[in-house]
Amino acid sequence: MSTIIFTQPSGTTDAITVEEGTSLMRAAVTNGVEGIVGECGGQAMCATCHVYVRPEFAAALPEIADDEEEMLECTTAERTERSRLGCQIPATPELDGMVVDVPSDQV
Amino acid sequence: MSEGTFPRAVPDAAWVTIPDLHRDPFPIYQQMRREAPVHWVPAVNRYMVTSYTACHTIEQDAETFSADETDSLMKRSMGHSMLRKDDPEHKVDRDSYGSTLRPGTIKKHWNAIFEANNEKYLSELQAKGPGADFVWDYAAPYAAENLRLICGFHNATQEDMQRWSQTMIDGTGNYADDAEVWAKSAQSSAEVDAAIDEMLPLLAENPDHSLLSGLASMPIPLEAIRANLKMTIGGGLNEPRDVLATTVWALLNHPEQLASVEEDPRRYAVAFEESVRWVAPIGMYPRETTRDTVLEGVQLPRGARLGVVIGAANRDPDVFEDPEAFNIHRVKKPHLSFGGGAHFCAGTWVARAQVAQVALPSVFKRLPGLRLDPADPAVDAGWVFRGMTKMPVRWN
Repeated sequence: MSTIIFTQPSGTTDAITVEEGTSLMRAAVTNGVEGIVGECGGQAMCATCHVYVRPEFAAALPEIADDEEEMLECTTAERTERSRLGCQIPATPELDGMVVDVPSDQV
Repeated sequence: MSEGTFPRAVPDAAWVTIPDLHRDPFPIYQQMRREAPVHWVPAVNRYMVTSYTACHTIEQDAETFSADETDSLMKRSMGHSMLRKDDPEHKVDRDSYGSTLRPGTIKKHWNAIFEANNEKYLSELQAKGPGADFVWDYAAPYAAENLRLICGFHNATQEDMQRWSQTMIDGTGNYADDAEVWAKSAQSSAEVDAAIDEMLPLLAENPDHSLLSGLASMPIPLEAIRANLKMTIGGGLNEPRDVLATTVWALLNHPEQLASVEEDPRRYAVAFEESVRWVAPIGMYPRETTRDTVLEGVQLPRGARLGVVIGAANRDPDVFEDPEAFNIHRVKKPHLSFGGGAHFCAGTWVARAQVAQVALPSVFKRLPGLRLDPADPAVDAGWVFRGMTKMPVRWN
């Protein structure tokens, strides 16, 4: 189990306990985190689970694969060097305590 | 359902008729949603699900709400495509489409083709002159030609694509079991089989970016290739055709919103999304319950045939403010028009590219003073599929 903290643009936070292997998108949608849509169910096809990962956790993340790279070009909110798709990040013990920022727009 | 309450029985909506749905389903959906999120509707022999939350729940729970419907008309018309399979079988077929429909391939390859096709068919519309029909003289052939090349039917015409698409879709909706409809659908299905058989070896020798070309080198059973291509011919044609015409119709009926879009062309993408929310081109799709279940407080038996009414969910006032209005300035919220979960529309990005990026900006640029023909009114119709069936236009 890892705890992931989703921070809204307003500053409010949701701390979600995520089972190992479950994606950040699935955990957020299941727990009703506002602003994480996950339209395509996790196949890197919709870019509606865009998150900004705080830099101190960047090294613990899986590399960006081609499908994710392609979809990150299609995000509604601006893509930055911290942009990732929540569906492509499975929870691991190394990510315990990670803070991600939810973008202002997802669709 | 809150704890301590009993699930309610499904209300019966015997007052709903197919001709009324076809003409204008939205007042019917308003009344149904006010009463309950799910109704039994004898006229369509299904439980119709009309609330946003209930439709969304179904999309996210494929174990309870299966896409693999018993006695599916679509299976009879087109074969057993990925649209009527659940994961993991669905995923094998879906993955077989590879990168053809993904944003990277669209940017690198398809956009230039969409632009050339748009130039050709918009010029044909202009040549016909004012009074020409926006749907049949432009939107339909444009969408059909794009789809022909995406599929890889180099041995067919855009007219073939239109005929195949319409007759097989008519089969999927042949609830009246009309023998002539089945005959035409079977004829098109056989023509598509023959076209696929001819193209697969040619594309194996000379690969391109098309779906059939990708499939030619994959260990996918021919039966699945045939069914999936037929589903794609159905879904890939009328949806972009209808959203293109509906968006233009909506903007012409709302001149202040058209002015706003013309001022900032990035708003064409917003107009497109608002249009597919407002009038979902696929208004309803089927699911079947795999067990007794309670959906939004309503009791459903195992084996219940459901109609997931996206066209109603997208106008649910619990989610969208003033939902019956076309308003590109509304607060953006996710609509359900492209479906959700594993069956999220594989053609979403192709539709956005060919309609919002290529067609819409050029239509208003190339046809100054574009307006609906006041002497020959446009007609919108349908509920399982909804769009403009007639749209004569004039320009300066």
